Amino acid sequence: MADTIYFLILVPMVYLAAAVFVVGIVGRVARILASPPHGSTLRIFPARRASGLRALADTFLMPQARKHTPVFWVFLMLFHLAFLLLILGHLDLIPGVGLMPADSPHMLGGGAVGVAVTLAILYFLLRRMQGPVREISTLGDYLLLLLLLFLALTGGMISWANSWNQANGGFVISKQDFGAYLASLLRFDFASPRDLLPGSHYIVVVIHVFLANLFLMVFPFTKIIHTFFAMPLNRLRRG
Amino acid sequence: MEAALQEKLKGLMASKLSREMRLYLDTCARCGICIEACHAYASMPETRYTAVARAETIRRLFRRYFKAEGRLLPGLGETIELDDAALEKVHETAYTCTGCRRCMTYCPFGIDTQMIQGIAKLLLIGADREPKLLTMLADMSIAKGETIRDTKGAFEQAVRNLEAEVIEKWRGEAGREAIPVGVKGADVLYVALAGKHSIIPAAAIMNAAGEKWSLSYFEAVNFGAFVGNPEKTREISRRIIDEATELGVREVAICECGTAYRVMKHQTGRHPFEVISFVDLMERYLRDGRIRVDRAKLDGSRVTYHDPCQMARNGGVIEEPRRVLRELAGDFVEMRPNRGENWCCGGGGGLVAMGEKDFRMKSARVKAEQVRATGATVLATACENCHTQLSDLNEHYGMGVRVAFLSQLVADALVQA
Ligand code: SF4
Ligand code: SF4
Repeated sequence: MADTIYFLILVPMVYLAAAVFVVGIVGRVARILASPPHGSTLRIFPARRASGLRALADTFLMPQARKHTPVFWVFLMLFHLAFLLLILGHLDLIPGVGLMPADSPHMLGGGAVGVAVTLAILYFLLRRMQGPVREISTLGDYLLLLLLLFLALTGGMISWANSWNQANGGFVISKQDFGAYLASLLRFDFASPRDLLPGSHYIVVVIHVFLANLFLMVFPFTKIIHTFFAMPLNRLRRG
Repeated sequence: MEAALQEKLKGLMASKLSREMRLYLDTCARCGICIEACHAYASMPETRYTAVARAETIRRLFRRYFKAEGRLLPGLGETIELDDAALEKVHETAYTCTGCRRCMTYCPFGIDTQMIQGIAKLLLIGADREPKLLTMLADMSIAKGETIRDTKGAFEQAVRNLEAEVIEKWRGEAGREAIPVGVKGADVLYVALAGKHSIIPAAAIMNAAGEKWSLSYFEAVNFGAFVGNPEKTREISRRIIDEATELGVREVAICECGTAYRVMKHQTGRHPFEVISFVDLMERYLRDGRIRVDRAKLDGSRVTYHDPCQMARNGGVIEEPRRVLRELAGDFVEMRPNRGENWCCGGGGGLVAMGEKDFRMKSARVKAEQVRATGATVLATACENCHTQLSDLNEHYGMGVRVAFLSQLVADALVQA
């Protein structure tokens, strides 16, 4: 029974999550594009040259946040950068991507990015639980942060648990094992993940993937959509 | 609330859902970076006065009726029902927000709270709960556009009565009207407010510059924009656009009224004429040497300038007033923050017209402190709303300044050749 559930989470649910993610985002963007344009400028002044570049900088460097909430900004940058590296690190597991040297047993970032993300999420949670930010927070805000926190914690546990076997010259579940699992997903061959992922902390992997699936599925329907909308919005402000 | 009314309000809300509005409504991360941006919150720290809380009221309605997730999971704490209690809240958020858009300079996404409050204001109109005074004033403006033929004579007579005062400030050429009206092919159509303070100094300045100008029959102020009624806003601007087109003027200069300027400059599309602010015009006259001013008039005065939100941050008229003031005053100091980041005076969004004195005074404490910190004795500005609000603040907080329109300072200092 448990094995069936694990299989459902690790294989079909991943496809479902990816489909919801893509269809959800496409739907959301389509809805916006189908709406009539506002018709007049929404920019603010003073006007500066190279507004496109500035909108880009606003999006990726958040100078407004740096100016008005500098500590928060440090954690925001840390979180977003580390998150980006985590995405790259996970993609790197796919055989043949090769961001890290082929013979390295480590994921991109070597566990440090996971720690960085976790610290940032903890800061976000603490910040949200105090003062006026607490008053503007909704249940959904906390649930999202908790989802991210457990996602990061289980991810961290996996890489930590893997290092136990390092003394014997290898990880319990090696990068190659994860690579085989991802390759199988990409081949749609519905192979049993248990056969590909040895190790007693398999259950943690299952939980991690389950949370990741959830994350992908809520992505288009929550404020995380700002990933895609931050740039167009900043262009509106810059004019 | 009756189902029919609810449907009507949902329809009104839908009419506001442009691409940009949807982006604004979809994106807020509730990060709270904008919390400190609002003068109302900075002056009286209550969460309901933050930009994010104001917008959240509208977002919750939006999610409830326009988003699948809100329809499916209304219990997640991110939706509210459209009922009487919600409308109360909508009223509070809409008419405690001056639409200054200062929060846009804090938000990492630049979310436009004023635009979101446009939904709030439209819902209130739909529910017949908007401030009636604003609608009445908007209707009066529109009616004036319709009855212009009958009222033209009375208007012209009223204008003639003001001419003596213009001449007191500037003796024009003999035989030339001090306040020309209905001049075909004029270079500038000046759109004033209903009040001689908005006509006399400007007339003196334009006469001094030898401008070929004409006074508009209409007042610039757009109460349609204050009350958030898109049709009335359009109709009110249309009167002026038609007049300018008919006269074939080159430029339409909007008097010192921030909202009138922004609406006409940035929200009415392209025209066969240029839209400028009267501040631009004064700056140009000074730069080109068409008028001269006597700095001695402000000797011993320290002058500071309040950037009206709709002129500066939302309109782009930022350096021109400073250049004018540097010509006028030896001791000009900036308040901090300034330009695009200036604190709102607390009088915008229709609040001055509505009265609301108690809230206006309390919510603008930071403005009074900011002005006081400059040590200025003259507080110049270029917006009718700001002028009224700053004068009230001056009295309420004992700021000890003289609040003056830029045009008034220039007109007082004109040097007769
Ligand atoms: S537009 Fe101005 S008044 Fe309204 S929430 Fe933003 S800062 Fe406050
Ligand atoms: S700063 Fe922007 S994203 Fe953050 S809470 Fe305010 S409006 Fe929302």
